[in-house]
Amino acid sequence: MISVDGLSVSYGAVQALRDVTFSAPTGQITAVLGSNGAGKTTLLRTISGLQSPTKGSIHLDDHELLGQKPENIARLGVGHVPEGRGVIGEFTVEENLRLGALMAQVNLREGLEEQYTQFPVLSERRRQAAAKLSGGERQMLAMARALIAKPSALLLDEPSLGLAPLVTSQLMHTIQHLCRTNHLTVVLVEQNASSALRIADRAVVLHLGKVVANDLAPVVAEDENLRQYYLGMVE
Amino acid sequence: MDSFLTSRIVTDILSGLTNGVVYGLVALSLVLVWRSTRILNFAQGAMPMFATYLGMGLLSYHFGYWACVVISIAAGFAIGGVTERVLVRGLYGKPEINPIVVMVGFLIVLEAVAAAIWSTLPRGLPSPFSPIDWQIGGKPFAMSDFSVYEIVTALVVMTAVALLFRFTKLGLQLRAAALAPEVSRLLGVRVGRMLTLGWMLSTAVGTITTVLVASNFFTGLTPQVMDGIFAFGFIAAAVGGLDSPVGAIISGVVMGIILQFVGDFLNSNAIILVALAILIVSLMVRPNGIFTKSTARRV
Amino acid sequence: MTISSNRRHVFVTAVFLGLAVVASFLLTSNGHSALVLGLMTALFVIGVSVLRIPGLHTNHPVVARGALTVAALVATLIATYFLSATTNFNLATGAAMSIVLLGLSFLTGASGQISLGNSAFMGVGAFAMAIWANHHTTTPIVVSLLIAVIAGALVGLLLGLPATRLRGPYLAGMTLAFAVAFGAILASFNSWTGGDAGLQLPTAVTPPHWLTSLYQSGTSLLTTNTMWLADISIVATGVAFFFMGNLFASRTGRAMRLIRDNDVAAELVGVSLPRTRVIAFVISSAYAALGGALWTLINNSVSPSTYSFALSITILSLVVIGGIGTIPGALIGGLIYAYSSAVISWIVTQTGLKPQGNFASQMNGIIFGVLLIVVMLFAPMGISGAVLRAWRKRRSHLRG
Repeated sequence: MISVDGLSVSYGAVQALRDVTFSAPTGQITAVLGSNGAGKTTLLRTISGLQSPTKGSIHLDDHELLGQKPENIARLGVGHVPEGRGVIGEFTVEENLRLGALMAQVNLREGLEEQYTQFPVLSERRRQAAAKLSGGERQMLAMARALIAKPSALLLDEPSLGLAPLVTSQLMHTIQHLCRTNHLTVVLVEQNASSALRIADRAVVLHLGKVVANDLAPVVAEDENLRQYYLGMVE
Repeated sequence: MDSFLTSRIVTDILSGLTNGVVYGLVALSLVLVWRSTRILNFAQGAMPMFATYLGMGLLSYHFGYWACVVISIAAGFAIGGVTERVLVRGLYGKPEINPIVVMVGFLIVLEAVAAAIWSTLPRGLPSPFSPIDWQIGGKPFAMSDFSVYEIVTALVVMTAVALLFRFTKLGLQLRAAALAPEVSRLLGVRVGRMLTLGWMLSTAVGTITTVLVASNFFTGLTPQVMDGIFAFGFIAAAVGGLDSPVGAIISGVVMGIILQFVGDFLNSNAIILVALAILIVSLMVRPNGIFTKSTARRV
Repeated sequence: MTISSNRRHVFVTAVFLGLAVVASFLLTSNGHSALVLGLMTALFVIGVSVLRIPGLHTNHPVVARGALTVAALVATLIATYFLSATTNFNLATGAAMSIVLLGLSFLTGASGQISLGNSAFMGVGAFAMAIWANHHTTTPIVVSLLIAVIAGALVGLLLGLPATRLRGPYLAGMTLAFAVAFGAILASFNSWTGGDAGLQLPTAVTPPHWLTSLYQSGTSLLTTNTMWLADISIVATGVAFFFMGNLFASRTGRAMRLIRDNDVAAELVGVSLPRTRVIAFVISSAYAALGGALWTLINNSVSPSTYSFALSITILSLVVIGGIGTIPGALIGGLIYAYSSAVISWIVTQTGLKPQGNFASQMNGIIFGVLLIVVMLFAPMGISGAVLRAWRKRRSHLRG
């Protein structure tokens, strides 16, 4: 489980997050929603250690994550798939996966096999430069790379960005499946609120850095105000 | 066959090759540092020079040549690591001129301190390989035991570096830390350590190169021993492309051979002039080096 | 400015002017020198007076800069009369160097390009001056200086054109190669450049009659000659700095700073990248050539060993220590160059070390290198930047 307590983050004079508090339970998908600039990416970057907060604390089960270096937080079992996926284009698909497996105490061959079975399209392209993959394939690669290290938590920043609707719904399905089978704590940041809410168990809505809603996903999905003002879901 | 092997052309090719592998090694060290930390190390000749002095200084304490070589290389690793931690750390993300000036300052200090401690008189090193050219059918052939030593060592080093980067876990991390430091952190790569290691490796390669050059009977070890070679190595790296280790080696070797011909068929003045011309022409055609894959700049 | 304060300003100026002219006549013995001194002091008073006009800086910045330059120039020129030959020599050398520094400072600070080739451009100017003088002995100094500047600009254009597309390290590499190859280029034209020995100027540069008459008869040639050389250098420096000050503030200058900060954005706004870069490069090489030509005048000769790559490093270091992209920085750098041994001895005594033997002879290099590193790591804006920061802090303190 990931718990965030009274988290505040500033970039110079701009306050990106104000007093954010919520918990992402283990084995469940917690969606973090809100419009652009709401602070969603900042939240993930702070959890994974790329950004230091001015106040507050973050816990992964019993471990305090605050003040730790990103590489150490990753080694504690937090996998972060950043905005834009962060696939290393100059590496092959397999090299990207090998990189992901480095810090984990996993058997490399088994780990690779597992990800190739899960994502067959990667197996076909294993020797190709990652730059040649399509958007959806890159998303698969980024997730496989995060999963190969057998993390206990997964932070996903806008995985559906730039993907066609069909690919997006397949992607969401995959995320849900992975969460259930691996008993992961998933924090899913999404612009595309409707697709995220379809698979999420809980939802946190941010607006201008503050939490405006923190509840079970279906509750958030039904709320008219939230839908209109914060989630841009006009129907 | 004999007269072919001792012919002027073959002689020039072989001598050029011997020089060229040295330029290639220098270019390789520069590329290693550039790729991992985006810094142009102007002290790339001076740091290994200092390490070599440290190691070879033990000769007067009756250490053997090979022992001193090993110690020099170890000193090279150390100097590279310390330099990265102390001097270079503060320079990441700063304007391009900052690291250039700092490394130039470092170069000046290293050469001055080396001259102060060990004086500028050339010191001969007891290289175990004879510099006398072989004879074929009574005519000199442009290879000696020593030049074979140089070429073989250079090839071994280049192969070792290539193998390290392509096939080992460490190499993977080094490349990842250089290409995508933030993403690598998220995957657990200790990027800071990889940067330090990049400098250590590059200085160690530089030290091997300096030992080779200084062990040459006709050169000896002086504080300025790597100055001219650094210039040519730098030109080779720029021509080949600062992002390409393979490009660095190839352009170093090719340049060495071309310049040998120029020196032989024209005059010694023309050598640097031709090098300059090669640089200008190649940068006009490929401003980022011949072997660099072009990448679009993100806006 | 009200009408009455206007009148007062003119009145005060007139009074000072009158005082100055009278003083000149009283202080000097003959008509010639009185005229010269009178003219100089008049210029100085007018310059200062113009500067005191409120709103001048904002409304007519060029005039303000001009007045400042004239006043500073005149004051310095008058001072050279009273200085010793050694001091004048150092002043002349340092002033010429500050022109070179200004050129490089501008290139790096204003347009973000790094050049290690300025020693070679200095050499181009230096040799152009000497070669021309040897073949055309009657050319006035101003013209031959101009020829050297043009030579430098042309070579700068030659190198600058391929350099426009180069990014930082590759540009540094190309200019480095040029500086290293310069010696060989000179040697290839042995017959023109005089080989290792270099060239001498056919006739020593001597001051005009009205200047020598300022001195009492019997003053050594050395004194009068060095004063004249210092004066030439200083006037050239004044002109160079005035031009640069205007360029920096102009549209071209702004375009260059835009390119330095974000070249993609600059292109989007319509700035022509290659053209602006080349202009900056040509200007910096022209300035370097002027400095080199002045050195030839001052030393009455030129030698290839002076213009080695080591000089380029010295130039870069002085720009950094003085302060990149600032006009006072170039002046400070020039001063440091002229008095480098004094500066280094001062630093050595400050540290309390007493270097012996080999260390003593290498002290120059050690101090210099350490200074470079320390300045770049802790005060990257150089001395002028540090002073500016301290000045700003004091002002904000006073404001409360």
